[in-house]
Amino acid sequence: MKASIMITCLGDLLFPDVGVAMVKLLRRLRVTVDFPPGQTCCGMPLFNSGYHHDAALVAARTVKLFERAEHVVVPSGSCAWMVKTEYPGLLKDDPALKAQAEALAAKTYELSQFLVNVLGVTSIDSPFQGRVTYHDSCHLLRGLGESRNPRALLRGVKGCELVELPGSDECCGFGGSFSVRLPDVSTAVLNKKLANVESTGAACLVACDAGCLMQMGGGLSRRGSRVRAVHLAQVLEPEEGE
Amino acid sequence: MSDAHLETPFPERAHAALGDAHLQEALTIATTKFIGLRKESFEGYPDGEALRDRARAIKEATLQGLDQHLERLADNIERLGGHVHWAATGEEARDIILRLCRDKGVRMAVKSKSMATEEIELNEALEAAGVKPVETDLGEYIIQLAHEKPSHIIAPAIHKTKGQVADLFSKELGGRFEADPEVLTAVARKELRQKFLEADMGITGANFAVAETGTIVLVTNEGNGRMVTSLPRIHVAVMGMEKVIPTMTDLMVFLSILARSATGQKLSSYTTLVRGPRQPGEVEGPEELHLILMDNGRTRQIAGTLREALYCLRCGACLNVCPVYRQIGGHAYGYTYPGPIGILLTAMLKGNAAVKDLAHASSLCGACKDVCPVRIDIPRMLVELREHLDREKIAPWGERMLFGLARRAMASPGLFDAGVRLGRMAQRPFVRDGKLRTLPLFFGKWTRTRDLPPVAARTFSERWKEIERP
Amino acid sequence: MTTRTEFLGSIRREMSKTRGLFETHPVPRPPDAGQAFEMVKRQMAERWPQALERFREEFERIAGVFHRVARLDEVPGAIKRIAEARQAKSVLSWDPGALGLDLRKSLGPEGYSVTVAPDGDPDVPARQLHRDAAAQAEIGVTGVDWALAETGTLVLVSGRGRPRSTSLLPATHVAVFDRGCLLESLEQVGTMLEALHADPARSMSGAVINFITGPSRTADIELTLTRGVHGPKDVHAIFVEGR
Repeated sequence: MKASIMITCLGDLLFPDVGVAMVKLLRRLRVTVDFPPGQTCCGMPLFNSGYHHDAALVAARTVKLFERAEHVVVPSGSCAWMVKTEYPGLLKDDPALKAQAEALAAKTYELSQFLVNVLGVTSIDSPFQGRVTYHDSCHLLRGLGESRNPRALLRGVKGCELVELPGSDECCGFGGSFSVRLPDVSTAVLNKKLANVESTGAACLVACDAGCLMQMGGGLSRRGSRVRAVHLAQVLEPEEGE
Repeated sequence: MSDAHLETPFPERAHAALGDAHLQEALTIATTKFIGLRKESFEGYPDGEALRDRARAIKEATLQGLDQHLERLADNIERLGGHVHWAATGEEARDIILRLCRDKGVRMAVKSKSMATEEIELNEALEAAGVKPVETDLGEYIIQLAHEKPSHIIAPAIHKTKGQVADLFSKELGGRFEADPEVLTAVARKELRQKFLEADMGITGANFAVAETGTIVLVTNEGNGRMVTSLPRIHVAVMGMEKVIPTMTDLMVFLSILARSATGQKLSSYTTLVRGPRQPGEVEGPEELHLILMDNGRTRQIAGTLREALYCLRCGACLNVCPVYRQIGGHAYGYTYPGPIGILLTAMLKGNAAVKDLAHASSLCGACKDVCPVRIDIPRMLVELREHLDREKIAPWGERMLFGLARRAMASPGLFDAGVRLGRMAQRPFVRDGKLRTLPLFFGKWTRTRDLPPVAARTFSERWKEIERP
Repeated sequence: MTTRTEFLGSIRREMSKTRGLFETHPVPRPPDAGQAFEMVKRQMAERWPQALERFREEFERIAGVFHRVARLDEVPGAIKRIAEARQAKSVLSWDPGALGLDLRKSLGPEGYSVTVAPDGDPDVPARQLHRDAAAQAEIGVTGVDWALAETGTLVLVSGRGRPRSTSLLPATHVAVFDRGCLLESLEQVGTMLEALHADPARSMSGAVINFITGPSRTADIELTLTRGVHGPKDVHAIFVEGR
């Protein structure tokens, strides 16, 4: 079983630990992991703000980067969504590229979907201990229809106590450029989310999207909260000392 | 109300709304309740999902035969003794109504809730022409007394607490009323009953119009829709032309999901099917029935980006789940229709430039699409609107520059890496305890309220060399 | 002023730009109206007891008050009890021909002031008289065309002797129905409506059909539910067992 990592721009720059954890985890599950060089971004920020011509250029180069991949695994629901749902449409004017985009879409998976749907595992051995709560990222939940697998994986960790987050399906307020175009509104939405998080008594807030983690982690950190925002991969493959 | 409020930029209006404690409380109560009611209703309704698909299919099929359905509708209404008017613009619709008022000696008109009449600012025009419009829907009555606009598509006064309503009634009607919804409802009932009986004209919107039978359909809860269409001598209905549906069988599909989506009810208290004016033998009913079919920007979207927005049933479900609407309420949007669908409708009615800020008043979370009874893909159309704004160069040049840079970095790994190194250098003075807590310029918009992880000392790409071995 | 031709012309122009762009999923046509109507009648002739039970459940769920009497001549007694509970003395009723009961005869002597809707084609003074009575009446008594079990809805077709305001202006609405009115689903109501409009023999004499699902209500103030905003505060349904 071979998997190529699509690290995502935020994952590469801000959360490299998540990528490393993901690689270790996959290897532990006997997956051969590679990392096509020259990755930058999936282009979603351009797409969401309406710069579709530019987004198509980025999509075209991404499609080529992963041409030879068997499976593409992404630690971010929104980026996986972008590739799977939007790339073919963006490249519709070039039949060859469109075909490649469709091929890429079919072999691209967000991490939890890859673990459960492709590798068939839910019970992963991990020394992680503690009470956690899970936030449903919008693009993973609504774009990719995924709410079960991350929870199944969390429940599969023996020392992990999963508590449902009230309003788990409510947006965290990130929305990409929305977070800085309307920072007040984004923060108000975030505060609502964090109030719910703190009501669970969880030590860790888990999500499968770098944007959400940036937003929620940034809010938790600013208010000096003891709750840590972590990626699912970091629960399944914690670093020593975590 | 003129467009003066639009002189305040949208981000400021949003900011003001966030600071309004009464509003925040009212919004939380109302939207949370609506969400729960809708959810419960659909959870107990296994047929619901298939009916939503069917409703959407009917809307699409209707658009594909729109001209024929409208002709059929008009022929049937005229055959029953009603009048059909064709208004290309909101102004025309207003003029038709004003002319009717003049010709028929109308001094007072009672209205049941109609967003179409809000859209064309009918009340102001009536008042200017010396005709007194009286809103009879409780929510509309409240905001009419308060000289405000509706803040929600189906619950116009939802931004007001009961205390505020009590104060309003006390001030405008004279008296001292308790902040008790029962008491206040009884006050409105009494005040308005006389108006129904005395009014010369009744003005309504229409939720649907059935082409095959010539029936105008009103979905209400209070009974004012029934009063307004039975007691005054003239009934005028203003309807967006996209509301026509082919048959009674189709109507049942929409009725089965509309109230559930709006308020969680199986059906609203009253669904009124009006087929022409008073028939011989009836002891009451209007002498004249006028249906005004209105375009006002809708036709252009048949082949346009916002075509799907023509499916809208005006249920308000998308407002209730929208993280933005829930925080800022309806007035901050600044136009007749707020919330997710409101942004699209505003673009439809006023053009793309009107939504240069509003098109970004969304985190694209998709909750709206989830709850829309006819599954309108609002996020997709918002992104397409943003694309138009970009193409038409409506976006500010600073933003276009930034995105231009981003695009170049995304297209070139060399530039990307250079950007990473630059970022690492530039951030050094700002890193405290492993976090970025204040950043200058544009980045300050984030750090004002949130910390930011710094660009890693070694990115994943840089670490890959060490972990590359299998 | 825009003409019909101009209005539809601009729609047709736009529609022509979309030819072939959108998939057509043909929407199911309603079946033959007459046949479907007969089928529903046959189904309900058997299923009315279940429908009645379901109707009662749903009707009570939306704050309707359900009554059951064995014979039509027991209805005035039931109305009396309702009136006493409300301390009401004035009753407005459909024309006796439409209702099947003359409440003037049964309730008049008991001290109730009863107004009935005029039959025939009332002139202006007669209409004004009725309107005044309707505005004063405390109880409005009507028949029912269809009682929908799925939602607890009463469907009333207006017409000669069956004014709209009887079920609207008085604070209490009393609706009298029997097994022949019962329908199970909204879909069946659609069938009945198709048939009603398709067959001139079955055509209505009035312009309005009202679906009444419980009392008048609003939640416009803080989403707190209150009843009796403009329409009735209470709705009663009296089921008459006998045919």
